[in-house]
Formats: sequence, C-alpha cells, structure tokens
Amino acid sequence: MSQQKKVRVLNGPNLNLLGAREPEIYGSATLAQIAEGCIRLGAERGLDVEFLQSNHEGQLIDWIQGAIDHCDAIVINAAAFTHTSVAIHDALRAYKGYKIELHISNPHLREEFRHTSYVAPAVDAVVAGLGVGGYALVVGLLGEVL
Amino acid sequence: MKVLILNGPGLDDLRRLDSSFDKDLTLDRIEEACGALCASYGIDMTFRQGDVVRELFDWVGRNASEFDALIINPIGYYSYEAYETFEKYRSAIKVLAHLKKPVVEVHISNIFRRGAHLIEPLREPDAQIGFICGLGLHSYLLAIESIAQKANLKGSTP
Repeated sequence: MSQQKKVRVLNGPNLNLLGAREPEIYGSATLAQIAEGCIRLGAERGLDVEFLQSNHEGQLIDWIQGAIDHCDAIVINAAAFTHTSVAIHDALRAYKGYKIELHISNPHLREEFRHTSYVAPAVDAVVAGLGVGGYALVVGLLGEVL
Repeated sequence: MKVLILNGPGLDDLRRLDSSFDKDLTLDRIEEACGALCASYGIDMTFRQGDVVRELFDWVGRNASEFDALIINPIGYYSYEAYETFEKYRSAIKVLAHLKKPVVEVHISNIFRRGAHLIEPLREPDAQIGFICGLGLHSYLLAIESIAQKANLKGSTP
C-alpha cells in the first residue's frame, strides 16, 4: 500500500461563520460539518486531510509555508483575501505541490471587487460556484490524482 | 436526466492547452470519459463541438429547453470572433439560467495563468453558473459530479 498523501485545506476570513452568514449565498452547512465530511472522504480515499480556518492573513501564509515539503496538495478558499492578498499569492508560488483555489459561490457573478483573484494565477486550478459540495468534489479528485 | 456538454471554437485541437493534471488530452478522450461517467449516473449525455459561433449558439438557443443541465467550455483559442462569442454565450446561458437549470463553465487550462485579459469567465449576475478551470479532463468530470450531486443521483460504479 502506498504512503498516505497529505492534503491541507485552508479557509480564510469569515468562513467560520458558515451556515449563519448569508445562507442564501453560502448554504446552511457549517464549516465544522464540511471539515468532517472532507476528513471522512479523504480517509476513504487514502488521504490525510487537515482542515484549517483563520481570519488572519499571516496565519494562512504560515500554513501555506508549513505545507512546503510536508503536504502533497493545498486546497485554498482564501475568501476575501483572494481579492487583496499579494502575500498569499507569493506564498502559494513558493509551494510546488498541487494547489487548487476553491470558492463556494462564483465570485465572477458577484460584485466587481470580487472579479480579480490574486490566488488564481498562483495555483493549478480554480473551482467555484459548486456550493459547499465543491469541497468534497475537490477532495475526491485529489484522492484520484495523488 | 439530459446533460449537454458544449465545446466552443478551437476545442477540436487541444495541443496548445495544458493542465497540471493531464498531458496529451484529446477531445475524443474527454468525450469518452464524460460518456462513461454520465452512464454510471444514468445521465443521457449530448457532447458537441463547433467552430462557428453563430451556428453553435443558435443551436443552443433552439434546443436548450430539452436539457436539464449544461456544461460549457466556451472557447479554446482567442480571436476577434471571441467578442461576438461571449455575447452569444451570454444569451444562451440566460435561456438556461432563467429555466433554473444548472450551468457549469469549464476550461482545461487555468485561464488566469494563460492571461485573464484574453479569456474571461462568463459574467451573468442573475445566473447560477459553476466555474472550473485548470483540471484538464477532470474539469469536465467534476462538473458532471457536481450536477449529479445536486440532483441526488447515485453512481453505479464505485
């Protein structure tokens, strides 16, 4: 049996309020429920899934840097930092494993200030607008390709 | 459930498109893999590619109501025709969005790496459009999985 692959799922500001904040956009599932689903699905597919959230840009950068040489893939929902953080962009560029940008809603259908992503040019792929189900789909995909 | 997978201009030749997740992808391979995944969910798939924008989208406009969901890869290369393309796409997508049918935009490459100034995501504020780029063949497969997930379809293969 091959060695268990490590996937770090990072969540940015306000995602701790999931389920309570604007459920018409983000759905009624809480972040804890999504985390549980990702960890369980990952285990079924031979992945060690680490699911993290912070409202602090520096913490997210530390987690991206910490994944270098330790994780096989990063999934990042940088939330509002997506549209502002050159520092997260730079950290992601330094990480060489698979990296996927994830959003619950599709930012391109929303306010103009969400149309630019500093994350997108620094990652391999972008998945958005599939609802909270997007998390499980991306973890499932990584189970196949890693 | 009937799903239309529509591929726009230039997507008959994928040699210029790259993804970290796939090498040497061909449209035939995509069609075959999508067909197999759709079959496992009992989804009836129609897979089309066209280079003439006007024909492609007139066809969608006429036939959209027959499908329950649309997966669209709008374009494989950029040309001046692309301006017209996106106007046509918007009208085709509006038709489906107003019928409350799932629409997922897919791209093989990460279009933000290739240059967002060349190919931009579809923007239709009133619509529900999923977006996947950069996963190669898996951009399409994930779109199918998402549609199946939302429709609570169960797959027949593990």
